[in-house]
Amino acid sequence: MKEKRLIRLPVLAMGARYRWDKVRNQHQLVFPEGMIVLNETSTAIVRLCDGRSADDLIATLKDTYPGSEPADDVHEFLRDLADRGVLRDKAVD
Amino acid sequence: MTKPLTRPLALLAEVTYRCPLQCPYCSNPIELAQYRRELDTATWVRVFGEAADLGVVQLHLSGGEPLVRRDILELVREASRAGLYTNMSTGATVADDAKLERLREAGLDHLQVSLLDSRPDSNDWLAGAASFDRKRDAVLGAKRLGFPVTLNVVLHRHNLDRIEEVIALAQDWQVDRLELAHTQYTGWAFRNRAALMPTRQQLDHAHAVVERVRAAGTDGLNIQHVLPDYYFEQFPKACLQGWGTVFMGVAPDGFVLPCQTAREIPGLEFPNVADHSLEEIWFNAPVFKRFRGTEWMPEPCRSCDRREIDFGGCRCQAFLMTGDPAATDPVCHLSPDHHLVDEALQEAQQSDPPLHFRVMSR
Ligand code: SF4
Ligand code: SF4
Repeated sequence: MKEKRLIRLPVLAMGARYRWDKVRNQHQLVFPEGMIVLNETSTAIVRLCDGRSADDLIATLKDTYPGSEPADDVHEFLRDLADRGVLRDKAVD
Repeated sequence: MTKPLTRPLALLAEVTYRCPLQCPYCSNPIELAQYRRELDTATWVRVFGEAADLGVVQLHLSGGEPLVRRDILELVREASRAGLYTNMSTGATVADDAKLERLREAGLDHLQVSLLDSRPDSNDWLAGAASFDRKRDAVLGAKRLGFPVTLNVVLHRHNLDRIEEVIALAQDWQVDRLELAHTQYTGWAFRNRAALMPTRQQLDHAHAVVERVRAAGTDGLNIQHVLPDYYFEQFPKACLQGWGTVFMGVAPDGFVLPCQTAREIPGLEFPNVADHSLEEIWFNAPVFKRFRGTEWMPEPCRSCDRREIDFGGCRCQAFLMTGDPAATDPVCHLSPDHHLVDEALQEAQQSDPPLHFRVMSR
């Protein structure tokens, strides 16, 4: 198994963007040849992939959802997006 | 009547069949000369708005060569204003830097450039025109402008042995995605099937190359490679995730198609955007209901537990090979017509016929 890497500076890959689907009432991440339907938490994460660090992103989520411990979930979700090619780690390139 | 639950996610807008190239696997109809009429700007703009209201997410502007339309910038601008994620498939022979920059400003999200081979002489021979240098310049220009770029290479007997060079080229040009698409045998490709079909050895070699490159790491290049169903699959592909489920296409003359090559199936009547809205067509047109769901299926599909996984395969392939568009896709090893696939493979191994290039004139 691959070692679990941490993404430190998450930015959406070129061509990937957040979209509100007014017909389906749905948050989406759309990219070339594909789309992911987002829930409330993943939407919040995606919208914070704006050049800030993952640590900063997690801190902001904690403020928005007091009492939550989102760090593990955030890192897993970011890794998943990176594996699909829709997120880059600016810290490594 | 029960309405289908899904709404389309993708709209293919074939804005013209005109094209400066002559690819021998082009998916446009063989009888190109019959379809010269093209929708005007205002009608396309209305169609994009209707598509967005119906729930379409991704628009694919294609052709032919979409860039030969003089109003292409306006079409891109209006599509993106309607909220559609806008992709364009282009041969890129008429895409200079100035045009690319205006496409970017108009809101184009993603550019997909076709390349026929890794070597200029072979690319130009297959395209029927000198085009390699322009394609390369367009790709490099698009990357400079910050477009996400997919390089699309259709694979067949005459270029498959250079798959490693193709991958190296994609890396060198720093494209984001490389789509290695084996020829689908409909349209011009069906006519050229015996001349295009690769040998089993070629395919095994290509497969090994892709696996090796992937294992070594592709350095950010996303490689899509789907093996051809004729050789490798027991079951057919889930064509378009089912007829009338997520996809609709509009041809240059405004006819609305449940599949890009559906015009090859005789006896189907296609509605036109001039007469109905996309919403009416999606939910009510008989041709969209014809192969939707599982009701239409014959045996062995009807009682097969994969019927909602592959939907019985491709209707066009079923028609072209068996003469019956409602037959089980012959690629399936359960199909009573499966021997037709084996025969086509044998024919391809034993002969090397010339290619017929796409022509429009007449
Ligand atoms: S496949 Fe080739 S000939 Fe057909 S439209 Fe595309 S570029 Fe033109
Ligand atoms: S019998 Fe029909 S449904 Fe079953 S696997 Fe074959 S094509 Fe698919």
